[in-house]
Amino acid sequence: MSGRHAFPFALLALALLGGCATTSPEARRALDEAQAELLAIRTEPAVRLSAAKDLERAEESLERAERFSSYLGSEEDVLHYAYLSRRYSQIAREHGAQRQAAERVAQLEKERERLQLALSEARLITAEQQGEWLEEQLLGQATTETERGLVMTLGDVLFDTGRAELRASATRTVLQVAKFLRLNQRRVVRIEGYTDSQGDAALNLELSRGRARSVRDMLVDLGVDGKRIQVAGYGEAHPVAENASNQGRARNRRVEIVFSDEEGTLGAER
Amino acid sequence: MNSARFSVALLFVFLAGCASDPAPHEQLRLSEVALAQARAVGAGEEQAELALAQGKYEQARAALAAGRHKEARLLAEQAELDAQLAEAQLLTQKSNKQVAELEQQVGALRQQLEAL
Repeated sequence: MSGRHAFPFALLALALLGGCATTSPEARRALDEAQAELLAIRTEPAVRLSAAKDLERAEESLERAERFSSYLGSEEDVLHYAYLSRRYSQIAREHGAQRQAAERVAQLEKERERLQLALSEARLITAEQQGEWLEEQLLGQATTETERGLVMTLGDVLFDTGRAELRASATRTVLQVAKFLRLNQRRVVRIEGYTDSQGDAALNLELSRGRARSVRDMLVDLGVDGKRIQVAGYGEAHPVAENASNQGRARNRRVEIVFSDEEGTLGAER
Repeated sequence: MNSARFSVALLFVFLAGCASDPAPHEQLRLSEVALAQARAVGAGEEQAELALAQGKYEQARAALAAGRHKEARLLAEQAELDAQLAEAQLLTQKSNKQVAELEQQVGALRQQLEAL
């Protein structure tokens, strides 16, 4: 009699230990999806380089899920390890994407630097070609020798009323200054902003500083080392003409560039 | 008779395996670390994967408290990877944004150069 009972037990034990046929459709689908996810990325160079560990774990988890799928009653584990495998693959994919983005960033930063250089070169060359540049011209016409040193005045016309941004027409003048500073590497400058006496004194002070900073920013864009440029704003102080007339006020609205001597010694601030 | 005994013993060994899961305290700690890291890089609950991770982490703690150790371990393991994916997705997003900004800057510089 006992022999007849033993047979079903043995069968049951066998069924527990082996038999792929027991995999449910849901488990099968989870396994297939995990496998597809892994296949899609495992050969991508960026993924292999940046996420070798995650790839390895995705493979291990998938193998584990496959192993469990051959045991009866292990559906929960199949789904679990298939899930983990997919997640590892997805994480690996993200790491690969990050690596590619980082490479692109490095490439673009180099390109940006090259373009900035090319742009400042091109601007200087354009100025030269148009015959705008003569050092004597800069020194002779636009500047005056004062007790503060050599001073170049940028007139009111280079700015819109009440605005700190330079007009495009200012480019020529600022280019000359940039070229001059390139030829005279030891010289430094102080850029000083001034306004007329109309309007709020505090606003005028801020506007004068803003305009001086605009000139500084443009010089820096054109390749002048920012360390060679000081900036100051004096607002309504130190007028060069009476504020009573339109003409006088227009003369008072100005930016002055004070050049150091050839040794780089700059007069004291006002 | 012997083979029947053997089969029954085998069955018990197999079933016993399920009941003897140790409490997954270490795994819960790992999940917590992964969640904290994802939040540290700026991931928020509006990100589906992070919300998923948080939900599973809480379920895992509840399962652990109720003595369902295996359930707690599975949930916590999934929560850990959900959080890691949320973090990785966010970092990818940030990198892509940086690329877009640089591309824009480079494009603007090209235009300026051509306009000269």
